[in-house]
Amino acid sequence: MDLLGLANYAVFMAILIGIYALLALGLNIQWGFTGLFNAGIAGFFAIGAYTSAILTSLPAAHRLGGFELPMVLGWVAAMLVAAAIAWPIGKICLRFRSDYLAIATIGIAEIIRLVIRTEGWLTGGVRGITGIPRPFGELPYMQSQLAFLAIVVVLVLLAYMLVERQVNAPWGRMMRAIRDNENAAAAMGKRVADRRLQAFVFGSALMGLAGALFVHFNRSITPEAIDPMIATFLIWIMLILGGSGNNRGAILGAAAIWIIWSVSELLTDRLPTEVAIQAKYARVFIIGLTLQLVLRFRPEGIVPERQAGAASSRR
Amino acid sequence: MNKKTLATLVGSLLGAAVLASPAHAQNVKIGLLGGISGPIAAMAPSMLDASRLAIAQVNEQGGILNGGKLDVVVGDSACNPQNATDAATKAVNIDRVIATVGPHCSGAVLAAANSVTVPAGVLMVTPSGTSPEITKINDKDLVYRTVPSDDYQGRALARTLKARGIDKVAVAYLNNDYGKGLAESFKAEYEANGGTIAGYSGHEDGKASYRSDLAQLARGGADTLVIFDYGDGTGLTILRQALENNFFKTFIGADGMKSEAVIRSLGEQNLGGFFASAPVGEASASLDAFRAAFSAAGGNPDAIFTTTSYDAAFLVALAIEKAGGDKAKLAESLRAVASAPGEPIMAGEWAKAKQLIAEGKDIDYKGAAGDHEFDAAGDVPGNYAFFKVSGSTYEAIADMK
Amino acid sequence: MPLLDFLNFYLVPGIVLGSIYAVGAIGITLVFGILRFAHFAHGDMATLGAFIALALVAGGMDPWTALPVAMAATAVVAIGVDKAFYDYLKARPKIVTVMASLGVALMLRSVVQVVWGVDPRTYATGIVRPDSYFGILLRPRELYTLASVVLIVVGLALFLRHSKWGKAMRAMSDNPDLARLSGVDNRKVTMLTWAIVGALCAASGFMLGINTELHSMMGWQLLLPMFAAAIVGGVGRVEGAVLGGLVVGIAEELSIFILPAQYKAATAFALLLLILLVRPRGLLNGKVL
Repeated sequence: MDLLGLANYAVFMAILIGIYALLALGLNIQWGFTGLFNAGIAGFFAIGAYTSAILTSLPAAHRLGGFELPMVLGWVAAMLVAAAIAWPIGKICLRFRSDYLAIATIGIAEIIRLVIRTEGWLTGGVRGITGIPRPFGELPYMQSQLAFLAIVVVLVLLAYMLVERQVNAPWGRMMRAIRDNENAAAAMGKRVADRRLQAFVFGSALMGLAGALFVHFNRSITPEAIDPMIATFLIWIMLILGGSGNNRGAILGAAAIWIIWSVSELLTDRLPTEVAIQAKYARVFIIGLTLQLVLRFRPEGIVPERQAGAASSRR
Repeated sequence: MNKKTLATLVGSLLGAAVLASPAHAQNVKIGLLGGISGPIAAMAPSMLDASRLAIAQVNEQGGILNGGKLDVVVGDSACNPQNATDAATKAVNIDRVIATVGPHCSGAVLAAANSVTVPAGVLMVTPSGTSPEITKINDKDLVYRTVPSDDYQGRALARTLKARGIDKVAVAYLNNDYGKGLAESFKAEYEANGGTIAGYSGHEDGKASYRSDLAQLARGGADTLVIFDYGDGTGLTILRQALENNFFKTFIGADGMKSEAVIRSLGEQNLGGFFASAPVGEASASLDAFRAAFSAAGGNPDAIFTTTSYDAAFLVALAIEKAGGDKAKLAESLRAVASAPGEPIMAGEWAKAKQLIAEGKDIDYKGAAGDHEFDAAGDVPGNYAFFKVSGSTYEAIADMK
Repeated sequence: MPLLDFLNFYLVPGIVLGSIYAVGAIGITLVFGILRFAHFAHGDMATLGAFIALALVAGGMDPWTALPVAMAATAVVAIGVDKAFYDYLKARPKIVTVMASLGVALMLRSVVQVVWGVDPRTYATGIVRPDSYFGILLRPRELYTLASVVLIVVGLALFLRHSKWGKAMRAMSDNPDLARLSGVDNRKVTMLTWAIVGALCAASGFMLGINTELHSMMGWQLLLPMFAAAIVGGVGRVEGAVLGGLVVGIAEELSIFILPAQYKAATAFALLLLILLVRPRGLLNGKVL
């Protein structure tokens, strides 16, 4: 182990943390500020990922796409398409309350995943899409990683500032009012359904952007990347642990969980190889246990929501 | 951060880079990246054990380079891109491996190669990534596989069935890169040779019942069902339900179905009509050597992808020896040790290979899974045989052309 | 297609599958209804129960004798999990408990993988050809499965309707505050609920295992269809969960007529969305959370 290696590893982790932070920010808009239990994050992540992949990749015989458009266009399209698909879903599903919305969105995400796996003409099916460009991909390893990190950091900061501005604007106060007491907000003449739909669409667009960044980082996308465990539930754990309702908490939660997830493997690697495989299963146990401990001792998250005015009570 | 600490940091980074040069290192480390958790969790342990057997043999028979030890670090690529890139980054940057065996799943291979190992100049040999997409990676000649692309096996199986007089089949495939790749190439070749596909459908894994799928396939009137799936996964469920309901008389699987879990769970007396194709080495002595050694080490040599996993690790070790531990020469050396001409080396013959390399002679590794003559893209053509169930294991009954 | 083929190869498998879903869905619906959160560890708890039964079978026990023992053992595990990981989160927003259950799912799975490994296992070697009952093909294990499901459902329904504790559980499901005010001991009801849920988990895992194979991911893969079944039937209703399980199971097997086979897994979710749209309280008028 040496410093350069550590630095490379840190840069890599920072990139993935950035991508997960975008997902967590998107979820924070939906759950943290609006109270929408979206458990279909993987679906919007996938839509963003595949949209950008189809638009920017090299042409391929067996599937649609390969338009070789500039990457920035791909990213914008990823957000737009994710938003466009979120809109009708939200329109139909947001009338369900909490747990029901969760199950409905899980169902939708699973259907999206099955469509991606099956409709090879559109998505390359189970083989996925390769030949996706990466910004500054021609640079040597370290520089290329740093350049990508810079892009991710800029986008996360932009998203963060945008969300913060919205949240501190009257829009945000209204959202919290709706979340904490929907009936009162409606009684005051707020158009509750419209506002919640806005939050759902906005959050989903951010998730789409995260998906786009992810495919360009890996230059490829296959359906395994949108497994609900790593593309939905992991992000929920990040947000709850970081502190839902607080954007810095969302980013911090993404960092904390990914670091635990990744570094715990380094620890198990120090064990003798005879038990190395067993240790990988035990690692999953440790992750589960860590989650329990944090929930036990810091259930409001690392950075709790700032209480604006009266304490809010939530279900 | 002030200028002085910055300078110190940069200095130490540069120093570290110089120190990290592997030329004089005694021990050499390689990464074993496998889908330990996730969908292929049932297959990964045997594959990793097979790779570790190769490494143990290296260390027992004189070690690597100047008597150094070949170290491994095991990473969990979990069959998804997120964990695969993470595991590869740790292996490459923290453990400073100069080559990786794996990841196992194609999606993991694509992501790890594209974003980690190729940019970092690290050799990758996958024992089980069968997707044709891997051929297309812009890999600077750093990505290889010891398992043939699905294309070869599907086509060979189609010709074999035709030659055995089976003119009508139904096909059930697992909807992943392995199952679908085989099914597509099988279908194309079988139909081109005048065979009839009387039912063709994919399925997702993890369902409890596939009886309606099977009933639907059987309605086409075929007596033979071709299953492209894993015998220690969904394929077992499908085979069981097909047998129990008399949907078909004959069952054909590819290498994924040639699993002892099938015999263990269903019983050999019920498997008279079950056949499977699997890659075999041309020099079958090499396969026998591997089987004996792996059985002695407590492994199951019939588990899927164990031969390719063993060969991948052994080839990487040979390449390191040949390159003198120089990372930049690894790919070139890998091609040299794997390809004809040269003195043939069988599985387990590390001491002999080491000797020949030291003498400057050319060697040609004949592996347990085949000869591994890499083509320009780093792929290998396959040699296959046709197996039937015999006792508690499988017995080859014919070569496949 | 002859009617018998339809019954034997599409409908009967759908009913068997649906019964297994039903047993799992009852557990989910009880947690949903009484403790008011979505229990994500349900599938992995079923896996654990199935493997406990496997350990007993390996020790020489007959599978169907092992079932009640495994149910009891898993009930103890479920109570322990609740005491260790869910109980102290009672006052927090329910989402925190949902997250905790996700963590428990990971932990249970890793225990199964470390103890029993990751290879597929079976309770008995060999295949069983079915017997014909007036043309309907059924295997003994399928008959036993159906009989056990009926037994479990009827027993549970009687318990909930007529026993003191069953009434307390229903009261807590209807209105926890009112139940507490009328002297229902919430702690005991919670414990009892977990005992029943644990036993049901083991039963569903065992039945899945005896009809197919056991492997460490089996429960996780069934989790979402079981959720769908619980909601389709109407949350908090035992009969609803049974109906939902059967509907989802049969729909999955019949979906093959109209959809490519890859979409079999999507049937449960399509059905779920449809029900939420046209009848959000589920087929049997469950509660809206």
